[in-house]
Amino acid sequence: MKLGAAKAGETSRRAAGDATATPYDEMRDAKGVVRPHYAALAARIETLSPDELAERQRTLERFFLLQGITFTVYGAESSTERIIPTDLLPRIIAAEEWKTIEAGLTQRLKALNMFLADIYSGQQILMDGVVPRDLVFNAPSYRREMQNLYVPHQAYANVCGSDLIRQPDGKFAVLEDNLRVPSGVSYMLANREASKRVFPGTFRGAGVRPIDRYPDLLLTTLKSMAADWRPNPQVVVLTPGVYNSAYFEHAYLARLMGVPLVEGRDLVVHDNMVYMRTTTGLRRIDIIYRRVDDDFIDPLTFRRDSGLGSAGLFNAYRAGNVVICNAPGTGVADDKAVYAYVPAIIRYYLGENAILPNIETFLCREPAQLGHVLANLDKFVVKAVGASGGYGMLVGPHSTKAQQDEFAAALKADPDNYIAQPTIQLSTAPCLIDHAIESRHVDLRPFILSGEKIVVTPGALTRVALRQGSLVVNSSQGGGSKDTWVLTDRKDLSP
Amino acid sequence: MMLARVADSLYWIGRYVERAEHLCRLSDVMLTATLDRTESATQIARIALAAVGDPDDAAKARRPYEAALALVLDREDAGSVASSLARARENARQVRDQITTETWERLNLIHLRMSDPTAAQTFADGSQAFLHDTIADLHLFKGAADATMSHGEGWRFLLLGVYLERAQLIGALLEVCFGDRKRRAINDHSALTSLLRMGCALEPYLRVYTADMQPRFILEFLLLDEDFPRSVRFCTARIEEHLGFLSRHVEAAGVSGPDRLAGRLRARLQYADIGEVQAGGSSAFLGAVLDECAAVHRQVYETFVAYTLEQRLPA
Repeated sequence: MKLGAAKAGETSRRAAGDATATPYDEMRDAKGVVRPHYAALAARIETLSPDELAERQRTLERFFLLQGITFTVYGAESSTERIIPTDLLPRIIAAEEWKTIEAGLTQRLKALNMFLADIYSGQQILMDGVVPRDLVFNAPSYRREMQNLYVPHQAYANVCGSDLIRQPDGKFAVLEDNLRVPSGVSYMLANREASKRVFPGTFRGAGVRPIDRYPDLLLTTLKSMAADWRPNPQVVVLTPGVYNSAYFEHAYLARLMGVPLVEGRDLVVHDNMVYMRTTTGLRRIDIIYRRVDDDFIDPLTFRRDSGLGSAGLFNAYRAGNVVICNAPGTGVADDKAVYAYVPAIIRYYLGENAILPNIETFLCREPAQLGHVLANLDKFVVKAVGASGGYGMLVGPHSTKAQQDEFAAALKADPDNYIAQPTIQLSTAPCLIDHAIESRHVDLRPFILSGEKIVVTPGALTRVALRQGSLVVNSSQGGGSKDTWVLTDRKDLSP
Repeated sequence: MMLARVADSLYWIGRYVERAEHLCRLSDVMLTATLDRTESATQIARIALAAVGDPDDAAKARRPYEAALALVLDREDAGSVASSLARARENARQVRDQITTETWERLNLIHLRMSDPTAAQTFADGSQAFLHDTIADLHLFKGAADATMSHGEGWRFLLLGVYLERAQLIGALLEVCFGDRKRRAINDHSALTSLLRMGCALEPYLRVYTADMQPRFILEFLLLDEDFPRSVRFCTARIEEHLGFLSRHVEAAGVSGPDRLAGRLRARLQYADIGEVQAGGSSAFLGAVLDECAAVHRQVYETFVAYTLEQRLPA
């Protein structure tokens, strides 16, 4: 199929919310020439007819359906299962670019872990006035219960999934850190399995860095959190259950790590030890990789109405008899208001400048900044501090006057609860949409593990805003995903 | 060592899959038998319906196609093939980390076909082909489990479910046909052949007894044959084998497992004599076998899944 450069350009112009910037095109440079790292894929696509591409798309979808990588849509009479929309064409990242991303993410997570260790012990950073005290203590994700609790290696956020976007100038920036229970890694792995099937030849020639060690690295990271006197720690994955939308991922990770997938009802806490009910009696658990939010892990400590966790779990954790990963209370470091201070946090603990910049952020709690935001609501993206998943959000350039008025009122009523960022044109990548190749906006979610050391997996989940012109990539809001190829540096390859 | 909840799910996958296969076979035999205008056609339909627990309904038996359609695809009926497979698959989803991808794919595929909106049309276009394909796919599922899963605890719970369900289904079928309840005795050749087909036993039977169709031989074959995988005796031997393995670890913890019950049940069938069974009344014998199967089921649950914590807490 012929790739029309003009077509991509046309889409970008129409999508541009901010008239001054044209989004960065992942595949072509400003002159419309295919970038070197995309050359092989572009050449391959040109040899395929629309029918052949559609056939490959069907193969891909069939793979997901067969594997049961689906979510359930509950209807009035019956429920149907749908696959998560997945795009055929991989997104490619050159080796040199990845080096920057890897260094930036490592630096960032290191500093955020130090920040968490600090605010849950001596609180030096608050005393030095780098981060406002009330911002931390008023954050709903701050957990007083975590105060003065020993966390091995200061690794609070063992699994982190940061959302990066590529700005119009081609530089990556961090849009959001996810330090609570980030999901999506199974789609990174499943997308890779699928794309090896649909583009085997191109894949082989491209020199794509493998990501299949992720489960192994995750297990190593989790085990590194165990106490020294438990030489063969029993690791489990704790899931809210089969009705959770990320259930597939929980089962997938448990299977690939070879550890039991438990639910709250499988757990028993006795004498501050955590056990699971097995066929041969109770068996002690050392490490819980929990995929249940803080609020729900222990009805005695957190939400009383939760049936998803286990009563007494948090006390067992405080007693040092079990490790909960990620640690409760990590959410305070990915709070949308604390986010604005991350560059300062990095400078404070590491004495370095942030390698990956933040997006410029206005805190509505500051009266001057609030005034600026209110005056330019049509240009800003306004987000509620506590919300996630693309909800509670105003995308200024795509909003109506009524929506803006509604947000203006909310901002004035509760300024602490909002931040605003300029509307950034996410970069675009080619996608197969209805038998034609078109540009769509994409972001990038790499996964970082931190235990004894910090490891960045050379791959990521690329989320796609499948609706034309849309900048919202969340799967709950019409987003899909695609495989992400991080290429090997040819110089690094031995002959 | 495996999670109690997981063991329970694997056991039920085995039961549901076996149930679905049996129902497909009964439906298939019912539809095939009623193609010929024989006197026994309605009788065969009534046997099939009674064997799946439907109240004896003569009107239903005269409309075998509708009865089979409901038996296979009625999602409202918790006992239908489609419902059984949906439950097996739902259980499999809950223990997705415990079964191999190959095994999962087979079951997922069957479920997707059954729940497809066009399934009713496919059934109408060729019900025998539809049933044949479903049975073949269920065999593939069991084959994939056998060939790709470790033959450890999980696999044994799966097979325990399969054999316990099979023993009860064949037992119930035999009770319908040979119980002492006042029902017309089955003497007709085509009815006897159909009965063997319901147990998937026609060809193996012929190899042992030749084409000599005798009710007594059929009862003996389906109840007491040592080697035929659908005889009740064969099933109980497998139940004992798997439970013996599964109970080993529990007994180390000082708990008595259900293997004693399983051993007694196996012995009852292994040392039975068809003459004595018939003299004492086959209904009584079959009733005792079915009761003991139910007792094994209860004790499996109490020993491995729903045990009280007090017994198992560390001292």
